[in-house]
Amino acid sequence: MTFEMREILKSKQEFRRKLAAMPYAEKLALLEQLRERALTIVASRSRDSSIG
Amino acid sequence: MKIRDAIALINQMRNDGVIERYAIGGAVGATYYLEPIATLDIDIFVALRPEPGHVIVSPQAIFDYLGARGCTVDGEYIVIASWPVQFLSPPGPLGEEALAEAREVDVEGETASVFSAEHLAALALQTGRAKDKARLLQFIEAGALDAARFEAIIARHGLTDRWRRFEQQFLRDQS
Repeated sequence: MTFEMREILKSKQEFRRKLAAMPYAEKLALLEQLRERALTIVASRSRDSSIG
Repeated sequence: MKIRDAIALINQMRNDGVIERYAIGGAVGATYYLEPIATLDIDIFVALRPEPGHVIVSPQAIFDYLGARGCTVDGEYIVIASWPVQFLSPPGPLGEEALAEAREVDVEGETASVFSAEHLAALALQTGRAKDKARLLQFIEAGALDAARFEAIIARHGLTDRWRRFEQQFLRDQS
């Protein structure tokens, strides 16, 4: 682990490059997971706002 | 909730002659070239067939076809395989060219038609909202564009001045 900003940015860029290089079907599976999470958060917020 | 299932049904709709051709745009299209971009919907650009005896094209045939296969309408979306899908006409000559030159890619044995990276970037430049500019930067930073092809497209569609402004605004320090 490092707190050196240049290293952090480099590592982030490398991670993004790895994600971009994944097969399309695997990236679409990640999109499906991201959407499910977003919908869960939205549902949880609307439940919270209906309480009280 | 699989995008592949939505693509399979859209392919079937094309094979059955309801639409002539289609291409995936938006975040799902851009995800082919970039890291996954979170989205809640799928943008499908379509060339519609005019109904017999009509000059004006209508998306009604799409609604009828998909409705008969259990899909539901939700506002401007049709929900396919739990995904809200928006069917859009190509926006002007650039969109029509993007549709004509879309590439076929594989999704677990199913063929999907996706806009080229250069056309997605040019459409983002043309649309010009903040999120479009951010996406255009993603394409550039990822090295996903063929620069010669991209510049030819933007020159053909009168976007060169807009590109120069974009370069000035966002890429000046990187040159």
